[in-house]
Parts: sequence; C-alpha cells; structure tokens
Amino acid sequence: MIFSKVKGVLADEVLDLPTQCPSSRTPPPPSPVTVQPPASSPLDFEVRLGIAGKVVKRYSFLIGDPLMVGLSFGEKNFIKGGIAHDLRTDGRKRLTYRPIFVETGVIPQASGSARVKMGATDVIASVKAELGKPNPSHPDKGKVSIYVDCSPTAEPTFEGRGGEELSTELSSALQRCLLGGKSGAGAGIDLSSLSIVEGKVCWDLYIDGLVVSSDGNVLDALGAAIKAALSNTAIPKVQVAANASSDEQPEVDVSDEEFLQFDTSGVGRHYIVDATTEEESQMSSAISVSINRQGRICGLTKRGGAGLDPSVILDMISVGKHVSEQLINKLDSEIAAAEACDEDNEMDS
Amino acid sequence: MEYVNPEGLRLDGRRPMEMRQLRGEIGVVSKADGSAVFEMGNTKVIAAVYGPREVQNRSQQLNDQALVRCEYSMANFSTGDRMRKPKGDRRSTEISLVIRQTMEASILTHLMPRSQIDIFVQVLQADGGTRSACINAATLALADAGIPMRDLVTSCSAGYLNGTPLLDLNYVEDSAGGADVTVGILPKLDKVTLLQMDAKLQMDTFENVMQLAIEGCKAVASYIREILLDNTKQLEFRRGV
Repeated sequence: MIFSKVKGVLADEVLDLPTQCPSSRTPPPPSPVTVQPPASSPLDFEVRLGIAGKVVKRYSFLIGDPLMVGLSFGEKNFIKGGIAHDLRTDGRKRLTYRPIFVETGVIPQASGSARVKMGATDVIASVKAELGKPNPSHPDKGKVSIYVDCSPTAEPTFEGRGGEELSTELSSALQRCLLGGKSGAGAGIDLSSLSIVEGKVCWDLYIDGLVVSSDGNVLDALGAAIKAALSNTAIPKVQVAANASSDEQPEVDVSDEEFLQFDTSGVGRHYIVDATTEEESQMSSAISVSINRQGRICGLTKRGGAGLDPSVILDMISVGKHVSEQLINKLDSEIAAAEACDEDNEMDS
Repeated sequence: MEYVNPEGLRLDGRRPMEMRQLRGEIGVVSKADGSAVFEMGNTKVIAAVYGPREVQNRSQQLNDQALVRCEYSMANFSTGDRMRKPKGDRRSTEISLVIRQTMEASILTHLMPRSQIDIFVQVLQADGGTRSACINAATLALADAGIPMRDLVTSCSAGYLNGTPLLDLNYVEDSAGGADVTVGILPKLDKVTLLQMDAKLQMDTFENVMQLAIEGCKAVASYIREILLDNTKQLEFRRGV
C-alpha cells in the first residue's frame, strides 16, 4: 500500500490569478488573492492518501507553532506564489514527488524491513511475525497491528511524550487504510493468508514505523516504507503435525528453508503532493486518500480547519488517483531494485 | 555455558580481545545540526544533535554555561522479541543521564552560556553495548554539529567470562551474568569520564578488564578520528579548497 498526498491550489483559482510577472528577473509579486485569502476560502489544499502529514502542522499550531516561527511574511508569500505558478521552492511542480529512495532488509532481526527517504524525510518500517491465537470472532484470520513512533531525532519537540499525538494520528491513519474494517474486510493485507490452523494458531504481524527525520509528508513515506517492508517480509512456512489431539494446541514446525512470500494488494494513495514542512505549514486543509492498484479508494481523511467544496474534494481525489498510478509504478521499481541489491549483498556475504 | 571455546574463540567467532566491526557515518538526519549513525556489530544507533540554540524552557537557562540535554529511546523493533515499553522507563532515563553527563564533560559549555544543546539517541538495533554505541554516536554527531569539545569521548565495554577478559560484549555475553565494565574516556587527555560495572570481580582482575576496555576505547577513538578526517576532506573537496 502506498500513500501519497497532493498539495496544490484550487485549479479554478489558479487560472484566475493574475500570474503574469511584470519582469522575469524580479520574483512574481504575490497576487492579491494569494496574499490575503479570506479566512473562509481555502486557497490551497493538500490531498494525501490517508496520511498524517498534516498532523505535524496541527500539532504545532496547538503548542504555538515553534517550528514555523522561522517563516517570514515574505517566505510565506514565496511559497504560496510558487504554488500558484506551478513552481515550488525546491523546483518541483505541484504534482511532482520528491525522489524516493528505498532500502530493504535494514533490520536483520525483523521478518521484513525497509527504509524510505523522500527528500529530508526518512522513515523505517519493520514487520515482525509472531505466532498467536486468532480472534474468536474471526477464527480463520490472522492479526495485524500497526504502530508508529516518532523519534526525537526528527524533531526536538517529539522529546518525551511530545511525539505521541502525531504517532497516534499516523498509526490510526495507516490502520484505517491498511487494515480495513473490524471484520478485516477490505484490508490491504489478506488476513486469511495469515491463518495457520483455523481457530488455533495464526500469525500476528506487528508493523512498526519509526520516523527518523521529518520534512513533510511523513504519512506517504510511512505508507511506502510499509509496502516495501511487507514485500521484503518472509515468514517461515509452517507445518502442523496432524497427530495432535483436538484439544491441544497443535504442534507447529517452523521450517527455515521454505518461505512464503508475502505481498500486499498494493494500495497507493496519491495526489499532491508531497509537501515539505514549510509547505505544510501554509496549508489550510488537506485530504489524504489511499488508492489501491485497481484505482479504488481504500481510505480517506480530511484534515485542517477550512471547509472544502465537495466538488473540490472529488477533484482532488481524481488527481490523487492519477498521481497514484505513477507513484505505485515508481515505488514498485524502487522496491524491486532494493530487493535485487539486498539479494546481491546476501550472496556476497 | 561455554563462552570461550578451547580454541579461544567466542560465540560469534571473535578472539577474546577482538572488537566487533565498527561502522560510522556522519550526516544521516538532514534536518539536525549534527547527526551520525554508529554501528558496533549488530548494535546500531542514530544520534542527532540540535543546538546550540535558544533555551526552550527559560527556567532551565544557565547564565554561565550551556544546558545539555539528552534523550535515549529504543525503537520497538530494536530487540529480538518485539517490545512495547512506554517512553521514559527507568532504564532509558538512567542511560539518558549517563550519556548526558559523559558528553557534558567533554563539551566546552562555558563558551555557550544561555543556550541549549539537545542530544537525541535512537537505538535501531540492540545487541549489547548500546550505552557505548550511543556515546560514540553522540560524539560523532556533536563533532558534526561543530560544537566545541575538549576531546572526543569514546566508550567501550569489556567483561569477564570463563576466566577470560572479553572485549566488547554482545547481547548473549552481556546477559551471561558475568561482570560488564563500561568505560568512557577522553583519549587525548587520557582521562576516564564514565565507569560502570555490574556483578563482582576480583580487584586485580578488574584492573585487567578495565585496561582492556580502555584499549577498546582508544581503538574506537582512532576509528572516529578517521571518519571525521574523511568527512572533513569531503567537505573540503566540495568547497573546492
């Protein structure tokens, strides 16, 4: 499953803006509309696939926005003006992602792990499989849980309990789009593939995310890292000894030689896109959409206080869907390259 | 259990006085003022330094020196069995304190009054010797942040099992119940800034074990110096000097 987000300016408003610069050498004067947006009209927004990137910003608002203290009026206008002109501060277009780097197998003790870097955002995801007992109401399904931890290395404000709010928001956004409903229906991961003996033993998958460095769009990065970690995950093939009596816990042989390759039904969410911390601080609202490989929406979260017109939301979703196709492909090839590199290393050693 | 076999090899194939493989890298967290990864075998730690900067909590401000703060945290996936511990348990509070005191001893805090330096260490993989790895990573990160220091602090542990002093214990050896001596030194000034031991040892054995740990620290110090020199050369190259 991958996530992406889209940040942009409403299409209509972009077109209406007086965007012609009088001189190509001087920076474009911020259009009056951009400079003084009426509080009620969301001039720019972000669409993300079920990601919690917005959390950073909301959190910082609550505590007096220590991060964003550094942005001057001019800088804010520069960011907004750049978005209006489809040329952002780092040279990207509105719908362009930062380059994504994927590295798999970074945590040897885990069943699968991956590290994803997007610009200065750096996250690690690990998957650990443990044998557990299935939930009585769903005896034929395994269990998956997702936790995200924000390391203070990413942001000094995450010290102590400071990162907890963001961690919770990120975990619940990921759970919402990866795990589906309570029954496990609609999950990005096929839970019945985790069952070993119905009602007796199943695999419990623990997915842990760690935010090492954050520069916006943490949710997308985590989604990509989890997807990569799951595709890197190998859980031992389990054989159940048939002679165990029905009351006893079946004996489980774990063979080290055969592995089941585990894969998700690729869910991606995209659309914006990939705002940096500075850009996130200027967003009035954001939508995170998670979209799977078939182009279906798996999860949707709207953040930020400003209201959005329903048609804008639909528009953002369709943009997200469009961007997600490219992102899923890009991510697939990155993961394949990382896996190949990982295998080479194993052969060498 | 036999921790040193008759051929004189340890469980992971090392000789008693051999360290695990070291690896260090500078500048892994782009947003921090200074950062580093340090690996000792399978133990892997990230350190990030923010500062010197304005003191966040005015009541903690010191008018004659910088305030040094440190937080140690372990990733959920860092240990063999997955653990989910609340933040700020006793062990991590104690290690945070130890790291802070050790680093404070080497930082020239009097040059930066009324400012704050934050050191955050995050354990990605724990396989024994996390304390030492954290201190070594923090030293690299502080150097990367350009914070004035008396000397590089380096740390290494040594233990005593099966009648043999062993350098740089891994998790299995660490939990074997023998003595575990963790030493931190300022290698150029030749001073000890950190010394911790659990379990008990004969006086004269202790001297040997501690001497072994100090030798380990010196080896780490020369490795860290190499990394810093390499890094400086690269920076120099990029500037076109």
